[in-house]
Amino acid sequence: MPEITRRHTLRAAAAAASIAVTPFARAADQPAVAAPTTDAPLFGAKQWTLPNGLTVALVESRRAPVVAQYLYYAAGGGEDPAGRSGVAHFLEHMMFKGSPNVASGTFSRRVGREGGNDNAFTSRDITAYYQQVEASRLPMIMAMEADRLAAALIPADELESERRVILEERNQRTDSNPRARFQEAFRAALWGPQSWPGRPIIGWADEIRAISRDNLTDFHGHFYAPANATLVLAGAVSEAEARALTEEHYGPVPAREVRHRDRAPAPTAAHEPRLTVREPQAREALMLRAWMAPSLTTAKSEQSLPLEVLAHLLGGGQGSRLHAALVETGLAVQAGASYDSESAGVTEFMVYAVPRRGVTPERLEEAATAVIATLLQDGPTEAEVGRSTRQISAGALLSLDSFGAAPRMLGGVLAIGLPAEVVEYWPARLRAVTRTQVAEASRAVLGGAPNTVAWLLPEGA
Amino acid sequence: MTNAFTLPIQPVDAGPLTAWLVEDHSVPVVSVSWSWPGGAATDAPGREGTAAMAAAMLTEGAGDLRAVAFADALRDSAVGLNFSAGRDTFEGSFRCLTDALPEALRLATMAMTAPRMDEDALVRVRARAIAGARTQLETPRGQAGRAFWASAFPDHPAGRPANGTAESLAAVPPEALRAALAAQLRRDGLLIGVAGAIRPAQLATLLRDLFGALPAGAPATPPPLPPFTAFGRQIVMVPSPQSQIVFGQPGITPPDPDWEIAQVVLRVLGGGGFSSRLMEAVRVQRGLTYGIGVGLDTLFGGGVITGSFATENGKVAEALEVTRGVWADLARTGPTEAELEEAVAYLTGSLPLQFTDSRRIAATLLAMRRNNRPIGWLNGRNERLRAITRGDAVRLAGSLLKPESLAVTVAGEPVGL
Repeated sequence: MPEITRRHTLRAAAAAASIAVTPFARAADQPAVAAPTTDAPLFGAKQWTLPNGLTVALVESRRAPVVAQYLYYAAGGGEDPAGRSGVAHFLEHMMFKGSPNVASGTFSRRVGREGGNDNAFTSRDITAYYQQVEASRLPMIMAMEADRLAAALIPADELESERRVILEERNQRTDSNPRARFQEAFRAALWGPQSWPGRPIIGWADEIRAISRDNLTDFHGHFYAPANATLVLAGAVSEAEARALTEEHYGPVPAREVRHRDRAPAPTAAHEPRLTVREPQAREALMLRAWMAPSLTTAKSEQSLPLEVLAHLLGGGQGSRLHAALVETGLAVQAGASYDSESAGVTEFMVYAVPRRGVTPERLEEAATAVIATLLQDGPTEAEVGRSTRQISAGALLSLDSFGAAPRMLGGVLAIGLPAEVVEYWPARLRAVTRTQVAEASRAVLGGAPNTVAWLLPEGA
Repeated sequence: MTNAFTLPIQPVDAGPLTAWLVEDHSVPVVSVSWSWPGGAATDAPGREGTAAMAAAMLTEGAGDLRAVAFADALRDSAVGLNFSAGRDTFEGSFRCLTDALPEALRLATMAMTAPRMDEDALVRVRARAIAGARTQLETPRGQAGRAFWASAFPDHPAGRPANGTAESLAAVPPEALRAALAAQLRRDGLLIGVAGAIRPAQLATLLRDLFGALPAGAPATPPPLPPFTAFGRQIVMVPSPQSQIVFGQPGITPPDPDWEIAQVVLRVLGGGGFSSRLMEAVRVQRGLTYGIGVGLDTLFGGGVITGSFATENGKVAEALEVTRGVWADLARTGPTEAELEEAVAYLTGSLPLQFTDSRRIAATLLAMRRNNRPIGWLNGRNERLRAITRGDAVRLAGSLLKPESLAVTVAGEPVGL
């Protein structure tokens, strides 16, 4: 799931930043996170629940004298009320505008004053807030985070200024970028512009303008309850300390009734099976095709890990089928596939390609379709499946080298109702995927699921 | 507590080479980063992107491994090997699990000493680079950055796009790529930073194996940064509901004794996060942008202060006026005592967070070496920061910040400028 954050990266040398053609950040050809050689748990997280219902997970690490706190709420853009897309994300912004014991703007200022970083992000499934600080500052950030879990002020006199910020954020991310506008239109074409998977997380501009303070307080009231939240701690803190501190700071937050996600059924047919967008600003074409697909939280969840393997062998960069058939033959500049099994509810399996100039959309699409047809007919080979499971999992332990990886991976699954084992044992589970499973999942999804094909074309192409 | 945080950097002597190492066995991972002077600075005019393409070709097959086989070898062992051309450096790096260290060494050495440069791989790399260069110009952001640097440094490599343009990339012949690599990949002129689970003696052997076969003689040093051209205001018309603004002025260089005072002043002006004056005035108070930031860019031995933000076309004039006002205020009166204290608290307290992953540590070591810092630089840093007085900060803000000569590029369809 793409995540959007409250604060863009303030790189002044922005000016020099290069922009990849790859349409999605989690392209399958990046050496994915990866896997230990034994069946030991990856992080060895401890997990417990406070009496008010808050789930706590801890990954202790003494590598540096620092600690990270991530608080995940099991609600994201997918929970926005009808006609008000963008509420979850708007609320994320307003959570920095004060709580009973922390004045507006003080949260980030205090974290910075202590040498720490803080930020927040919203995806379709979750909203998360995090801080990274020197270890002795953990009580301070816990006190502030618990305060805004209990109650957020959402001051009415700061609403309009923040709405302008969000509209500028939308302008910057989407409206001033032809490729981002196209991706937004693509999701809407597949799922429907008013369906929960088809709406943009940041919200449609006219709906952002219509969001009221009541929409925000209702969202906080319904979803920001201890029993709907997962706190993940990582770093230089022991289990005993973490238990004592969470009881002290989060324990007093009153339990509240939780409204669990209750999304309308996802569409079962593509809203528009084909979309063509001609953009005067676009200089390169892009083909996207996505099929509706199960995830680890839906029926047929057993297809999820095989679909991860499929994404790699079909479109995981050099050596994959799409790369061989489209890029190595000179039809495309880039081609790949992506899929994320860790989603709440139905998700999508995506294929993309950027044609070489002079190659017609029809020719490239035909070649991509032929790759998929061959795969469906003969299935993958043993060698392909072995290569993919090996390469996806080979570097699993590298996630121990990133301070934010453990809390993000654990928070991401716990907040969508999956057990920690999904993360702790993913390398072994992924390596257990068989050729037959990949063939079956391919047929179920690429062979019959509703899908949309879309083309972004530079105007006049 | 942060006062106690020190970073044990060890110098590791490997023949003619010296690496800096932060040894850490808590996680079975090693990161090695290295760089030479050069990079895009050596591209011939009209052939911008030569060094960048040459760097990309290094991982497109080497020795008896064609591109796919080479990629498979890296991925089977989860070795992340990368080469890139910056504006004034050519860089290499790898990260791997300790078990994969011999394979990482083998592949990195092959890439540098026996790149295949196969024609079909070059066709693909060139096509991808051209598409990337074109895509970069699809947004106001890409257009603004390109125009700003071109105007600030005309007739110098700093003003030319390091990744090239569609036209320049098409014009680079294969011989130019080979020549660029021959001039660049040398066993002299190297700076090396290493972090992770490796002992000094083991590292010394690894470095000799990694670089020992490269020819002697350091790559040429790029030309120094000429004076910043205060070009006034420039508008690049791009159809868009929002304009991207990039602005800048001369900065300060790493050897300057006021370097750390400048870090403090720029943190107050527009450093990361919500505590800066610009973020408060432009975003929080007025809702004019999603984010505004300012930083010090070091290139070709010189320094430039640059900043950027985006705002809807109708608000460009207002947002620029507010930005200039903040700039002028800080130049006139400097940071307050409270701002100074807060900035110093952040800069001193955040040090441990810079050292939580091996790639970042290796990159930090490399940056220190590039700035010619002594090995104990970080350990004395907090003390130096705490010794900065308000008088120092006021003086530096007054001499450094030039609100009247701020150069501004606006890309979009601004109204009322």
